[in-house]
Amino acid sequence: MKVSYNLLKSFVNFNLSPKELSDMLTPIGIETSVVSSACGWTNVVTAKILDIQKHPEADKLSLCKVSDGLNEYKIVCGAENITVGQIVPLAKIGAILPENFHIKKSKIRGIESEGMLCSKKELGLSEESGSIYILDNKTNLGLALENVLENVDSVLNVEITTNRGDVLSHLGVAREIGAKLKKIVTYPKTKTFNVSGLNCLQIKSDLCLRYIGGIISGVKIGESPKWIKDILEKSGIRSINNIVDITNYVMLELGQPLHAFDLSKLLSKNIVVRTANELEKITALDDKEYTLSSQMLVIADDKQPIAIAGVMGGQHSGIDERTETVFLESAIFDSVSIRKTSKKLNLSTDSSYRFERGVSWDMAEIAFLRAVNLISDIAGGKIEAREDLQNIKYEKTSIVLRIERVFKVLGYKIDEDEIMEILRYLGIYLQLKSEVIICTVPSWRNDIKEEVDLIEEIVRIKGYDTIPVKKTHAVCLPASQDSFICETAKVFRVKLNSLGFSEVLNCSFCEIKELEKFGLKYSVKIANPVSKENEVLRPSLLPGLYKNLMLNVSQGAESVALFEHGKIFNELGERQAFAFIAFGQVWQEWWKWEGQKINSKYDFYFGGGIIKNIMPKNFLIDQNLNPEMCFHTGKTASIMCKGKVIGQFGILNPYIIQDLKEEIFYCQIDLSFIEKDKNFDTVQYKSFSKLPLVKRDISIIADKELPFFKIEKVIRSIIKSGGILKEYSLFSVYTDETKIGAGKISYSFRLQYRDDNKTLTDTEVNNAMNNLLEKLDYDLQVKLRE
Amino acid sequence: MNNINIEEIVKEATLQIKDANLESIENIKVKYLGKNGILTQILKSLSNYSIEDKKRIGSITNKAKNDIENEIELKKETLKKAMLEEKMQKEKLDYSSNFYFPFPKGSFHPIIQAIEDISSVFKSLGFSIAQGPEIETEWYNFEALNISGNHPARDTQDTFYLDGAKELLRTHTSPGQIHVMEKQKPPIRVIVPGKVYRNEASDATHFSTFHQIEGLAVDENITFVDLKAVLSDFIHKFFGPSVGIRFRPSHFQFTEPSSEVDVQCIFCKGKGCNVCKNSGWVEILGCGMVHPNVLKAVNYDSEKYTGYAFGIGVERVTMFKHGIDDIRLFFENDLRFLKQF
Repeated sequence: MKVSYNLLKSFVNFNLSPKELSDMLTPIGIETSVVSSACGWTNVVTAKILDIQKHPEADKLSLCKVSDGLNEYKIVCGAENITVGQIVPLAKIGAILPENFHIKKSKIRGIESEGMLCSKKELGLSEESGSIYILDNKTNLGLALENVLENVDSVLNVEITTNRGDVLSHLGVAREIGAKLKKIVTYPKTKTFNVSGLNCLQIKSDLCLRYIGGIISGVKIGESPKWIKDILEKSGIRSINNIVDITNYVMLELGQPLHAFDLSKLLSKNIVVRTANELEKITALDDKEYTLSSQMLVIADDKQPIAIAGVMGGQHSGIDERTETVFLESAIFDSVSIRKTSKKLNLSTDSSYRFERGVSWDMAEIAFLRAVNLISDIAGGKIEAREDLQNIKYEKTSIVLRIERVFKVLGYKIDEDEIMEILRYLGIYLQLKSEVIICTVPSWRNDIKEEVDLIEEIVRIKGYDTIPVKKTHAVCLPASQDSFICETAKVFRVKLNSLGFSEVLNCSFCEIKELEKFGLKYSVKIANPVSKENEVLRPSLLPGLYKNLMLNVSQGAESVALFEHGKIFNELGERQAFAFIAFGQVWQEWWKWEGQKINSKYDFYFGGGIIKNIMPKNFLIDQNLNPEMCFHTGKTASIMCKGKVIGQFGILNPYIIQDLKEEIFYCQIDLSFIEKDKNFDTVQYKSFSKLPLVKRDISIIADKELPFFKIEKVIRSIIKSGGILKEYSLFSVYTDETKIGAGKISYSFRLQYRDDNKTLTDTEVNNAMNNLLEKLDYDLQVKLRE
Repeated sequence: MNNINIEEIVKEATLQIKDANLESIENIKVKYLGKNGILTQILKSLSNYSIEDKKRIGSITNKAKNDIENEIELKKETLKKAMLEEKMQKEKLDYSSNFYFPFPKGSFHPIIQAIEDISSVFKSLGFSIAQGPEIETEWYNFEALNISGNHPARDTQDTFYLDGAKELLRTHTSPGQIHVMEKQKPPIRVIVPGKVYRNEASDATHFSTFHQIEGLAVDENITFVDLKAVLSDFIHKFFGPSVGIRFRPSHFQFTEPSSEVDVQCIFCKGKGCNVCKNSGWVEILGCGMVHPNVLKAVNYDSEKYTGYAFGIGVERVTMFKHGIDDIRLFFENDLRFLKQF
């Protein structure tokens, strides 16, 4: 909301510059900034236009010759409202305009401009843009602009939190100033009058709490006086005519929205406040037709609605130049109802904005009087009749405040006297009763409902900066451990990071169509998505990671390795998942590359190796009995923990990757399955032999169809049986069937033997190797490769 | 043979050792200490002398022998070191050339990193970490937090509701407060980091998904003074010890009194720049004293216990700290962005 600095001063006496005022209001919760200052410029002088020519390069620009009485300046100007002989503000080279806009020598379409002719907007004097500010043609030349303009006002922008509707007026802001500076606020003087009641007014809905209506006859419609237009302009409201302007002016002044109808245009004498009929229509003052529903409140005559209550008046009953008799409304409507109506109709007005945030019970009457006074002064109207219908019995809120509670919440002592002073200047009526203060809250502060609200008021006005910062607070409770899942994820994150992976974050939404591609089904659908992208919650991290991978591939990345930890939403509910995706060259090339040029891609085995490297001891890799549709059916495996499948990995199904030539590796683990396993947590030390290991390499030939894990199982069983074979590793796989026979595959192992008590002899090792080979032959028909 | 001779021999040997190199030092050793060396000869000839002279000459000769031997060893050490030094200089490599490592450099997401950093500051202040669900009920997300059915925050426009259920995606991490208080009794000091959702169109500063860190402390005698102390401490640890802090009154349904906290712009030091929109300050969190109605919602005695709560916008803080101007960059996951962190 924009307010006039000068008008604030008419309500409360203060001695602060606009900047000082905004610096005082912001710390009490009224965020204020100076939009335009009394003089937001330097080095702007009055100058006369001597000559105007067309700019040779641009139709819309002109070349002006102006004089400040001493020198002549060539200025390029884009405005259309200038003519020779006018006096205008000239910002010379070196001038500074509001928002720190520096005027420098510059070329515009090839022609140098020695300054700028200013509009009101550029000077921060008005919101309207476009035309150059034309000064009185008797103004002397070369004078500083600020010395020529009379009564230059400042405009402040005030932002309030949703609970402070009471600040949405000049009076409201002035009250805050008064509370902080401990000054009394004065209201505009109004004459009261004695007139008869109206018998034609009726409230038929609980959504209208109070309705004051009055008939003013003999008004003369015309233009508003300058001081009213001026305030409206500063607040960004268009001037219409004197009656409409007065209703708006009083709203800006006192915060109470008012509405004026042309009584002669109503189709009946009766005026009713009622809820609309379903599908009832009204054309509002903005020329648009609105279809109403039965939850919306309207003002109506016997035939049709004449206004959407608290939001906008009807076009038909609006004030125009022929209006003579005005029906003036000052009412209080239910704030929730107005908000819902305004939202539903997508129609927010200065009036609805204020009703939504709550208006003051008492102010309805004061504002009505103020408007009647102004109408009679300005438009010559005379009040004929008036009615004040009250649908509820209004009572001010009374709250018990305990002084010791103030200390208990705030933690530092504020004097009882000071507390009472602060509350009084907020307009709160106090009654002392032994240990407590009974506080009666003024009608405009409907946000103060309980004791703690009063405590906030006290510390707000005293200033949050007065709260001491004590360094001694830290009662250091022992910091708890992260949950086990987070710890596990953290290990994955750190390890993958050092293997060259980058962490990503995707939003939790997916399009249904996108899921189909991966054979994924959603479990949670959004009822009210803003767009298709937000249709469902992701059942897997794959769609996001795949999208990220493709983005980076399209940007030219030769190798992409990404991981993500986040929630997924599937038939089991909300789950913590961890996934990684990898594509392309594993090693980055380096200059000392000779001899090491391994064409290593992220394939099935490499990916599996990464998983083995990063996973905790109680994870096992096993065959994948129920592979997800996204995996290559021949290149996938599962990750087990305590007999449960907790994840799957493999190469993405070629159907998904389509035109990519290389394989994509993907792994996803559902961390919600894992739990802390005490047996695996504490490692029990086993002594190790200091005797040397004997290493032997063997190559064996097996049927291609034989799963490798069966061979491993045999070797492992021998290790477990406690013989001298301690470790093994696979170092080569040979598949050239022309050399080893059709349907065969050859594996080469490095076997490590050790006796814990003595140095081994060759014979002992040979015997052990033969044992292994015999067992492999016997169990699996696997033979030594000669 | 007399004393002077021996002294002369030592003097002469010392001079030779001083100028020796790794080859000549061995010759010097042979010359003086070898089987037929000068000092060895003297010792051999001792039998020609009287018992008294034998003792005297024998002792000074042995001392001379020891001295020379020590000097030779010292010299040899020095010469070896010098030789190695020379060798290393010959092998010198260009430190500015490319070091190699088979894997490219990995990276952590700046948002997760910020959550970790902020969490570790609060851990050091005695807070533990809790997690809450992202799918919530209206009770946890609104009602228990003193946000009644008519409050504007309940508008469906801002909240993602789930199909067919009275459930929604949490719009803030504050429901975490309720979950924690339902599960345990005071004292409570906890932070709840996580994803939150708003149903709004995205632009440079808005996205349907973002992150918050909720904080909550409840106990007897917790006051606004404690809140200010903890948050000031956090800000100084996170943004630097000298950064200015401003507590500004604000309004949240679930805290009273409420405050927003601004940090002095770290780019312009409060003078005003593009980042802080010329105000010199950047808002980074909201906080306040837990509203008695929230304590009542979890059946805490709101007379006995008080508490404070705060919520930090992770994206906002991260954008500010790193000078990032578009929130959508966080969710695009372009490696050219990610690898910078």
